[in-house]
Amino acid sequence: MSMPSLALRQPRTRTGLTAWAGIAASAAAVVLLAAPGRGPNLAGAFLLACVPVGAAVMCWVDSGEGLVQAGLTLVLSLAVTAIVSAAMIWLTVWRPPALYAFAVIGVTSCAGRLVRWRRPCCAGRQ
Amino acid sequence: MLRGAPVKRVLVLQPGLLLVGIGAWAFGVSQTQRQAIGPYGVLASANGWFFVGLAVLLAGMLAELGRTRPRTWLLGAFLVALIVAIHTTVPLLYGGTPEYAWVYKHVGVAQAFGQYHRVTDTSNIYQEWPALFAAVASISSLGDAGPLTFAAWGPVAFELADALLLLGIFRLLTGDRRLPYLAVLLYEGLIAWVGQDYLSPQAFGYLLWLGIMAIVIRWLLVPAPAHCRWRFVNTTRGFLLRGRPTPADSSATMRWIALALVAVIYFAIVAAHQLTPYIALLGVAALVALGLVWRGWLALGLLAVIAVGYLAPRYGLITSQFGGIFSGGDVFENAAGSQGILHKAAEANTGLVVHVLAAGMWLGAVAAIALRWRSLGRVAIPAALAFSPFVVLGVQSYGGEAIYRVFLFSAPWCALLIAELIAELRGTLRSLVSVVVCAAALVAGLQGLYGPTAVYAFTPPELAASLWLYGHAPPGSLLILPADNFPGLEAANYAAYDLQIMPADPQTGASWLDEANLGEVTQWIGSLGHSSAYVVFSKSMDNYASYFGYPAGYEQLAKAVAADSAWQVVHRDADVVIYRVTF
Repeated sequence: MSMPSLALRQPRTRTGLTAWAGIAASAAAVVLLAAPGRGPNLAGAFLLACVPVGAAVMCWVDSGEGLVQAGLTLVLSLAVTAIVSAAMIWLTVWRPPALYAFAVIGVTSCAGRLVRWRRPCCAGRQ
Repeated sequence: MLRGAPVKRVLVLQPGLLLVGIGAWAFGVSQTQRQAIGPYGVLASANGWFFVGLAVLLAGMLAELGRTRPRTWLLGAFLVALIVAIHTTVPLLYGGTPEYAWVYKHVGVAQAFGQYHRVTDTSNIYQEWPALFAAVASISSLGDAGPLTFAAWGPVAFELADALLLLGIFRLLTGDRRLPYLAVLLYEGLIAWVGQDYLSPQAFGYLLWLGIMAIVIRWLLVPAPAHCRWRFVNTTRGFLLRGRPTPADSSATMRWIALALVAVIYFAIVAAHQLTPYIALLGVAALVALGLVWRGWLALGLLAVIAVGYLAPRYGLITSQFGGIFSGGDVFENAAGSQGILHKAAEANTGLVVHVLAAGMWLGAVAAIALRWRSLGRVAIPAALAFSPFVVLGVQSYGGEAIYRVFLFSAPWCALLIAELIAELRGTLRSLVSVVVCAAALVAGLQGLYGPTAVYAFTPPELAASLWLYGHAPPGSLLILPADNFPGLEAANYAAYDLQIMPADPQTGASWLDEANLGEVTQWIGSLGHSSAYVVFSKSMDNYASYFGYPAGYEQLAKAVAADSAWQVVHRDADVVIYRVTF
């Protein structure tokens, strides 16, 4: 097996795409959850559980590989969703709408990443 | 123009095969009758177009892999199509009803969390490891749709997510465009039969474990092991890591962040499933022992503290259900699989197929390692991860399921090792071996997956009957299953019912009741202390009894109660009859 050189290409594109995906997924999740109908609601709930939190982290961290970037976005989101949901059960404070906070976190972190990325001083540091 | 034509044909051939394959598979599924599915499962009963579809998808993907510069978007599309075809066939044939009776137990726990918002039964092992169930309850609550609406699609969702992570991990390990796709294609065939991807904590834990592996491989590997004070350790590591490629470099800050992310993901695994944290720990421990992980002992200690810290207050439950962590050190007994399964006819033949597949996988991996004995470092990471799960067999049988988890956790790395061996072949031989190995793995894996479909898949009328039962039988009622194969416990208040399986099946424990003797059955039901009971007979129970040969008297009992006026039919549909018997 040969390890690839991980001075990988276009890190800004990868983290930038993650940030855009995080913002888009957060917004889409909120819209779908607000829309009438179980189908859109369920899609929105899954989107909220699968993308925003992971994107909030991975938009700052370049894995060097697009598939890993996407995979870790999913895994981190699911892990945090599971921990937060379990905590609500343990603490008997069952408030599933609290998961909307994921969208807020996702948009805030991803937007912050994009704003920072556009500044020349930060681009060089990536 | 003429000279360009063949090139254009090649460019459009594989995308065309993708569309043809999907179309043929979809048409084949639409033409397959679930009533025709017998003891050998879907492969023995499917419409011919189903096979054409799968064959075209496989051929198209292998043809694209054979190109000098394969198009990764097309390889990805083929892989997605194959995974969707493999894992949506049964849900499509059975009207979106979740497969496997035990999935309904998981649905019930998630429903209970959604309704009662707390742990209601501390003696229930599922409720004490609630991470997945709570997440499902959250999603259900937000989406205003019960888990039964999406549980059937768990396998395809988990497999797609697993494939995404595996492709990424294999890209990190190999730096190759072709090899990861070949390895994941092989993996999908190898693990199809093991059935650990339904809506369950273990499927969830497995996905998260792949995330941990991705983080470790990307950020936590060190170029060379630190010097150890024991010479034999340095010598052994030197031999095992000879020829190892240099891993990616990372800053110390990034490594600390990676370690924190691993801890978060690991905590979610620990809170979701009982066994997965320890198999995950074994994989990390193997890499730490080789000296490959940055601050390895610290990382291992951190994960161990999380695992033990969670387990300690719940250890009594583990002791009562699995005999403690160290339930027995008989490796061969622990590796024997589910105890008490009666291998008969079709079940035995399907079992043989998957045993050969499993043996082939591990032998192939061993061969791949042995052929690189001069530079073992090239395969050190996948080899360590492929064989470290076996340690679990030394301490635990996990109710007979440990060997399946060992297989599952070993499979990705074995697939990578075998795929790399194939990729090193040249020209026609490589294409030929790729076709033979992938096709054999897929056919054997699919027979293992689809073989028991008639037993483990439930029809919409069966699910409707189960929901009717929980909707109409008063809480506290006695519910009786003559065979342990029916959707049950899916209601939020499942614990309010006394669900009993007739003790007539040696596969599910003590077997002393003769179901063919109606008087004996009635006496047993009366001894349970209820004034009445609901007794369920279904098509899948009938299939179960035929498939395994037990409970031996099921058919006679079904006929006897139908002719006995004391047994009142309270629900009947195409596949289920529910009787109420009063004492």
